[in-house]
Amino acid sequence: MTDAITVLGARLRFGETAALESVSVSIPQGACFGIVGESGSGKTTLMRAMLGLQRLDAGEIRILGTPLQQGRAALRQRARVVQPIFQDPAASLSPRSRIRTLMNEVGTVLKEPHAATHERLLVILKRLGLPDSVIDKYPHEISGGQARRVAIARALLVKPSILIADEPTAGLDVSVQGDLLNLLQDIRRAENITLVVISHNLAVVRLIAENAIVMRAGRVVEGGEVGPLFASPRQSYTRELFAAWPSLASNNKGR
Amino acid sequence: MNEAMWALKRICSERDGRLGLTFTIAILAFALLGPLVSPDPNVLDIKARFAAPGLAHLLGTDNLGRDLLARTSVGTRYALTLAVLIVVISSVIGSLIGIVAGIAGGWVDRAVTAVFDIVNAFPPLILAFALIALYGKGSATFVLLVTVVFIPQFGRMARARARTLRNLSFIEAERMLAVHPVTIVVRHYLPNVAGPIIVLASMNLPVVIAFEASLSFLGFGVQPPKSSLGTLIKDGFVSINQSWWPTVTAALVLAVATLGATLLGEALRRVIDPKSAGAR
Amino acid sequence: MAISLRDLSVDYNLPIGTAHALRNVSLDIQKGEMLGLVGESGSGKSTVAFALMGLLANNATVTSGTAIIEGREFDLTKPNATAPLRGRGMAMIFQDPMLSLNPVFTIGTQLIEVLRRRAPDSDRKTRIAQAEDALAKVKLSNPKQRMNQYPHELSGGMRQRVVIAMALLSEPALLIADEPTTALDVTVEAQIMREIIGLRDRIGCAVLLITHSLGLVTEHCDRISVLYAGERLESGSVRDVQRQPGHPYTRMLFDCEIPIDRERHADTAQNRFTVIAGELPDPRRRPPGCIFNGRCDVSFADCAKVVPGDYPVAGNAAHGARCLRLVTP
Repeated sequence: MTDAITVLGARLRFGETAALESVSVSIPQGACFGIVGESGSGKTTLMRAMLGLQRLDAGEIRILGTPLQQGRAALRQRARVVQPIFQDPAASLSPRSRIRTLMNEVGTVLKEPHAATHERLLVILKRLGLPDSVIDKYPHEISGGQARRVAIARALLVKPSILIADEPTAGLDVSVQGDLLNLLQDIRRAENITLVVISHNLAVVRLIAENAIVMRAGRVVEGGEVGPLFASPRQSYTRELFAAWPSLASNNKGR
Repeated sequence: MNEAMWALKRICSERDGRLGLTFTIAILAFALLGPLVSPDPNVLDIKARFAAPGLAHLLGTDNLGRDLLARTSVGTRYALTLAVLIVVISSVIGSLIGIVAGIAGGWVDRAVTAVFDIVNAFPPLILAFALIALYGKGSATFVLLVTVVFIPQFGRMARARARTLRNLSFIEAERMLAVHPVTIVVRHYLPNVAGPIIVLASMNLPVVIAFEASLSFLGFGVQPPKSSLGTLIKDGFVSINQSWWPTVTAALVLAVATLGATLLGEALRRVIDPKSAGAR
Repeated sequence: MAISLRDLSVDYNLPIGTAHALRNVSLDIQKGEMLGLVGESGSGKSTVAFALMGLLANNATVTSGTAIIEGREFDLTKPNATAPLRGRGMAMIFQDPMLSLNPVFTIGTQLIEVLRRRAPDSDRKTRIAQAEDALAKVKLSNPKQRMNQYPHELSGGMRQRVVIAMALLSEPALLIADEPTTALDVTVEAQIMREIIGLRDRIGCAVLLITHSLGLVTEHCDRISVLYAGERLESGSVRDVQRQPGHPYTRMLFDCEIPIDRERHADTAQNRFTVIAGELPDPRRRPPGCIFNGRCDVSFADCAKVVPGDYPVAGNAAHGARCLRLVTP
């Protein structure tokens, strides 16, 4: 089976700093894939490149075997395959449009009658536990949690086969972050979607992803199945990351 | 419409806002209702030249015996129409050019910015003189030429806003959904650029009113027999030794109009764009 | 000497009404001890720090509260009550180090300024030496060279080290660290926490660590206080609270933390994350009874009516929680 996303020798420089340096990644279909790294590791740049929001200096990215191309026709095709879930999904809803307008835009792109889009939307909203009444609201009129779900609902409306979530838990309280993660896992299982999770949170990636890579300074440090990767990291940097993680179990207080 | 009501409420909640609103409404009422209670502005009453205010002529008459209330209110109406027309056209064109430049980036952006810089490099009044000298007098050309002078201001602001918006996730989300670029500009850029543009437009309204008056005073603006505030002040100024009424009336109306528009613009800015309000 | 905060209550006047950000919050920190004040957004944890430092916003009013620092009592309801302590008795580390650093002065100038205020009659040479020494103590590389650099030339972690060096030089009795590592990467976070602990051990001050991260608290703190919707629900030693949480909220909060060593289950349906259902109560209208009622998984009829007091957990006077379960057989 072709990979969901293949990155071959991606290279990108911002002035002197190497944002990406010979990055090659294969993301298999139907699985959850984690991209782990600290700030400046290039994980967000890699995500933007996969989405076509950032051009590479060299290298190739293939989505389901099709090389990433610029241009409207390619973009329209890609939109039906890959959808992002931004770090602050609530901020990815245009502030001065009603949710209905935003959803109808998706229908227009899919060349689908608004009535049909609406039908499908109602089903999705129900699944995400959102009341129908959100449709006629502006993004600022709903709660942060609801806005996150609305953004995910919009991505699902396109029926993508790949979802790329950028730091889905950043800025969320521990008591609510699980809600979003559970939802992403449910969606992924039910729709057989390839889920790419970009995160600095090792514990989250360890639980949610089957495969992962660790990035540092624009390079892939190591990668593989999450089990062995996290249980016995080969690279010292990965070990360092784990050691630094504040853990509940070891209260190593001297007193 | 709710937002407009809310903005109006906020404007009324402060003294300067109330004052600006009162002056503006007074000037609008004067411009709209004046002609209803006065004779035809172009009818000559030779017997009553330079008449002081009285029952026949509420604000007196000018050197040809024309009713000053009628002439001033018609002039005000004309000046306001021109100013609003200029501000609206230049803000719409400026916003669109600015947004497109901001989104496109690269050489398009550099070229547009360079043109804006060139236009801005000239003092506005001098540029307007030059353009009018080149393309001739007349109301339509006047509006077009002054519009050109004011476009860069709106263009720069819209461009700066668009460049910030371009990297925000809601715009990127629209792009990732392959929504048509025109839809993105109209539905997602324009409404989010509109706030500061409306503020700038309202702040520019008094500037354009005074600008038009200056040009007309110097004979480059509105041509006789039409009257605007600038021509009224000039005509009155010529015969100020016979009667000071015409000049003072027109000047007073000009002062109230610009003051009202300025206060209202400032209040609007405090409501819509509170962050930049403290800066000046 | 212990630092003590008694009955702190803070209100915010908002256009939509008066929000009660804190209600009768008390804390005690021994010298040389680090207290972790844990809370989620909306708990009011930062308001505690700002009230102590006298840095509350204009629309905030302290309705009750006293602080006892170095044996002196301060009435926090008075404006600028703790002003005499700022820069001397108390120091603060913010999440954003740029709040403590002036962008137009060099690191050296700012460190020397701290020393000049503390010891006005020492000479410049000693001050420079002391400042360099402080930078070396917080493990900032090339201290001599750093003295002439501006804050923007340093990374986030390095800036936070400079702020810790400033705190070190001012030798406070109480150091307040408000989310000091939230903006930093985990590897840097661990280093910064080590420096804060190093500072505490050097000058023997009390540290109030304000954070949302239970991991940080259990790893580095001696005692923990749990704040929820402006009320302190539990406090005790980290070991006691972790072993036997007295309040259901504390237990649920611990359950939500994802242990780094938890391995994924082969069946994806098993990899669930724990969630505390429900939302924070309206800060303007405190519901009757327990503040956590409605989100609690073990509540009973009385929880909606009786406001629980602070009851000892398992007969331990140093470990208390506000839960009726503790006094209901």
